[in-house]
Amino acid sequence: MRRLLIGCALAGAAVFGLATPAFAHNVLVGSNPADGARLATGPTSVELDFNAPVQNGPNVITVIGPGGGHWEQTQNATVDGDTVATSVAPLGPAGVYTVGYRIISADGHPVQGEVTFTLTKAGNGKAVAGGTAAGPAASGGGSGSGGLPVWVWIVGVLVLLGIGVVVVLRMGRRTEDTAG
Amino acid sequence: MSARTTTVAPRAGAPATRYALFGCIGVGAPAGVLAALALTTTAAVPGIVEPGAAVVVGLPLARALLDLSALTTVGMSLLPKFVGFDQPERTAKATAVARRVAVWSSVLWLVAALASLEFQTANFSPGQPVTLSAIGDYVREIGSGQALLIVAGCALLYLVIGVLAVRRGETVPAELRITVSMFALLPLPATGHAADAASAWHDLTMISMELHVVGAVLWTGGLLAVIMVLGTNRALLADALPGYSKLATVCVFLTAVTGALNGWFELYLTPGVHWYVALFATGYGRILIGKIICVAAAGLLGAHVRFRLLPAIRQRKATAVAGWAAAEVAVMGVAFGLAAVLVQAPVVS
Repeated sequence: MRRLLIGCALAGAAVFGLATPAFAHNVLVGSNPADGARLATGPTSVELDFNAPVQNGPNVITVIGPGGGHWEQTQNATVDGDTVATSVAPLGPAGVYTVGYRIISADGHPVQGEVTFTLTKAGNGKAVAGGTAAGPAASGGGSGSGGLPVWVWIVGVLVLLGIGVVVVLRMGRRTEDTAG
Repeated sequence: MSARTTTVAPRAGAPATRYALFGCIGVGAPAGVLAALALTTTAAVPGIVEPGAAVVVGLPLARALLDLSALTTVGMSLLPKFVGFDQPERTAKATAVARRVAVWSSVLWLVAALASLEFQTANFSPGQPVTLSAIGDYVREIGSGQALLIVAGCALLYLVIGVLAVRRGETVPAELRITVSMFALLPLPATGHAADAASAWHDLTMISMELHVVGAVLWTGGLLAVIMVLGTNRALLADALPGYSKLATVCVFLTAVTGALNGWFELYLTPGVHWYVALFATGYGRILIGKIICVAAAGLLGAHVRFRLLPAIRQRKATAVAGWAAAEVAVMGVAFGLAAVLVQAPVVS
């Protein structure tokens, strides 16, 4: 029993050591431009405010125009506390623009959603070409050395452990049988 | 699942129906996962790269497998405590079965933790290949990645201790196995969504979440172990079930109260919507309702065993306890499946 109590105490200490200060699942509480806003001139940046800090990681913001083109300068959004922002190219045709986001919550879970705003007067900008490719390509290059997909490793671990355990248990069976 | 049944069955000399319990919980959990996924489907956001269907389904399935193998390992570790150490000649066969099952469930536990790590990394940066370096980045950035590594390490440690225990019998102390297996339960809830950083209730909700997980695992794992290993041995069942029943009674209330508290708090903390609206209007709330129903149903099934069957079991009479326990375990499997989605579900409609 005492061993058990000591174990529990150690476990409790370890848990509090591991715990990070923030755990919430982020919720969008505001944006600039606001959801449903009607603007005469396009914004130079889009800011999204959350109720909790956003973690560094693959935070993505897109701005999709009436024709389906991308207008965000870069998909890799900058994080400042609870706010995520990205710069926007000069907008083009009048109409509804959709700001899509997928950000890393304070608890590490990705959260996604969208807000929209309407451009009432057409600007003279052009859609950014290749907007979708910017995010994934940026950090994917350095991983060429780890060529095998990870599930192969996991299956390998499973097979090796399985064989190992069977072998050891079979060896163990003899000692167990002679002992008991 | 199949590895466990095929490897252990011949030696245990048990009827195949004994392993039906694993079937019940193994069917219940994926059912819960799929139901919860259906409740939380989100509309695609234009321009955003989303993880593929394999990741969306695989992530909670791996988590459910992790939980099930964890509770099996914990339950099997506790079994010697339930049957007692006084009469080793009577209990030796049963505890030997429990040790073997625990070895295989710890293998599954380890693999499920690694698979979860892979799926979480894929979910973290969709559209990119999941390589070892990507997983390394994920572990460095995100707490639950670190927690999964600790869980995998604990499962491996348990595997080593478990194999030793199979070879040396109960000279490897049961407390050691209980401690390692239960310690491995703690890291994941500590990194889940328990509370707002700014909230004064943060420590309380985290402790409450830990108690919730421990309670649910002791309840389900204990039942699984006692019925699976002792279900056909009326004499040992008469010894072990009353002790388990006392523990389970505490755990049922602990699980229900802490679960309700944490669920309510998560809804309450969500800005812009009243918690009672969010309970019915959001996927998170609906899964929560599903879990409440599951816990209530499993609690009633448990109460039937406790109050109607236990008196007869004490007198070593034949009862239908295995069937009732199978139903209870299946319902708890659904609850664990729902939970696997709930832990990552946002409170949005």
